[in-house]
Amino acid sequence: MTVPIPALEARGLVRELGEEVRTRILHDLDLVIAPGEFVSITGPSGSGKSTLLYLLGALDRPTAGEVLIEGIATSHLDDLARGALRAKRLGFVFQFHFLLPEFSAVENVLIPMLRRADIPGAEARDRAAAALGSLGLGDLLGRRPTQLSGGQQQRVSIARAIAHRPSILLADEPTGNLDTAASAQLMEIFEGLVRDGMTVVMVTHEPSFAARAHREIRLRDGRIVEVVHRTATAA
Amino acid sequence: MRAQLFIAGRQLWHRKLLNGIAVVGVMLGVLTLVAITGIMRGFQTKFLDTILQISPHAVLFDTTLGDTRPVVDQLLGGPSATHIVRQTSTDRQRRIVRPSETVRAIARLEGVSEVAPLVVGSAVASAGNKEMPIELRGIDPTVQDRVTPLRSHVVAGGFDELAGTVDGAMIGNQLGELLGVGVGDNVSCASARGERVVLRVVAIFETGVAVLDKGRIYVPTRLAQTILGRGDAIDRIEVRLLDPDRAPELTARLETLFHYDAESWQETNASMLGVFDQQNMITGMIIGAVLLVGGFGILSIQIMIVLEKRRDIALLKSVGYSSRDVLTIFLSEGAVIAVLGAVLGAGAGHLVLRMLRGLESASGMGFSRKSTFAIYERPSVYLLAFGFAVAVGLLASLVPAWRASRVEPVDVLRGS
Repeated sequence: MTVPIPALEARGLVRELGEEVRTRILHDLDLVIAPGEFVSITGPSGSGKSTLLYLLGALDRPTAGEVLIEGIATSHLDDLARGALRAKRLGFVFQFHFLLPEFSAVENVLIPMLRRADIPGAEARDRAAAALGSLGLGDLLGRRPTQLSGGQQQRVSIARAIAHRPSILLADEPTGNLDTAASAQLMEIFEGLVRDGMTVVMVTHEPSFAARAHREIRLRDGRIVEVVHRTATAA
Repeated sequence: MRAQLFIAGRQLWHRKLLNGIAVVGVMLGVLTLVAITGIMRGFQTKFLDTILQISPHAVLFDTTLGDTRPVVDQLLGGPSATHIVRQTSTDRQRRIVRPSETVRAIARLEGVSEVAPLVVGSAVASAGNKEMPIELRGIDPTVQDRVTPLRSHVVAGGFDELAGTVDGAMIGNQLGELLGVGVGDNVSCASARGERVVLRVVAIFETGVAVLDKGRIYVPTRLAQTILGRGDAIDRIEVRLLDPDRAPELTARLETLFHYDAESWQETNASMLGVFDQQNMITGMIIGAVLLVGGFGILSIQIMIVLEKRRDIALLKSVGYSSRDVLTIFLSEGAVIAVLGAVLGAGAGHLVLRMLRGLESASGMGFSRKSTFAIYERPSVYLLAFGFAVAVGLLASLVPAWRASRVEPVDVLRGS
């Protein structure tokens, strides 16, 4: 029997910030996330949730330790290789939608795929339109971000994160700027993606949303203090 | 590149006003370069063309070169305790010895096209109660015309008549006006040492250079020698070259071979060429300053945009764009601004030059005629302006582009 390669793995992860006064944000943290798993990361402000997420997404470099994305060690990769890895295997959703104001909804979704040589232009456009359609935004392809509601903007950012069909979705407080209805809708989208086989890691302050993940990892002062396993989402 | 260019193009269009200002900055720089270069070099080229047409490329004078030591030193063959208290001028006639042989020898030198011997001196021309100081030139018209094409400047009378008469004279048009004479009239001419001779005006020339048109008379050589009291002396040999730029080289050779003082047209017009050099330097500084201002326009606007777009840059990097991609995006924006500014500036410069070409300019710097602006317009000027503008644009956008490429997404995400 073969052991599946973890979607994400952190080994002895340490992250310190500051030039003169070094502050340790994460302390020797180990974590393994399986393919298709829905993991929520919770904890009080300053506990290191977002830092952990950025390290897992190869957006940041650890002070010590190693992050493996689908078995690929990232600490020694250069800027170009890390970019390529993110472009192919990862999708990001942030608290702020970070949509580029000059571009329409479909163009915003298209932009990450334009960087990929293996996705032809026409296919990229089809995928972008399909991703927006699957999130109920099929009629708003040509709208600029300023012409969309907060919930719609965040759904466009999700479309941007999934249109290139990554295997892992990393979300940092994705409901932070949304009202209750839009937040609930977004959680349903995440659960749908997990059902389709995507690995989702979500940082959240909201206990009810955290509880809908397969596993909740609670952080305090840069350490994992509790792991809560759930067999199925609460949906 | 498609992604980077797509993003760069859209960002440029989205900030039309700001980027438009940067384009205008570059455009003004290129316009200044094209227009000022066109006017300044146009004038210089016109001046030099005229000079090279009406003046010889090199002249051999009757001043001998040789030992400048006091005569006693020369006779004793070494230094002596001599001190010249006062030197009196000599009555000895200065001349180029064996002028015919010298002319033939010069004509055989490499690069020499034509050679003409002549005699030159100061005289006074008078008609009625009007008198004018003039430079009298005794020439062999046919030979001289090959060195300094005089025939083309004749505006009245006939150049060939100058060679066919014993008392014929060709005078400048302004001199004719000042003396109140025309073709067929008589002009009396005398010098301090020679005879007073009555000349008959057979031709009137106009070169466009004031100093010549109102102060020069051409007569056959023999007649000039009589008026100037020079016997059969030849005191000057003028040379036309195949390549005027090689005149300094030839004059050095002439001095070595014949031991007479020789002067190239560059030496003759050294003060004017020096003025041109200074003009070009000042023009270059003005153009450089204007283009630098344009460059600073791009720099400041791009820095502002980069600061404003840090979140967008962070997003691009988080979805897979590398530092090099971001650098390319912002450099492309700088390049587009520069190219657009250069094209518009070149077009505007062309229109300005076309407009100036139709305007009449007053004389100046020796030109006597009113004429339209002499404009220098060559593809090389446009290429220079284009290359300079694009280089300045790229350099100016390099700093902001580099700063943009250094944005760490995680720093921005933490801050947000």
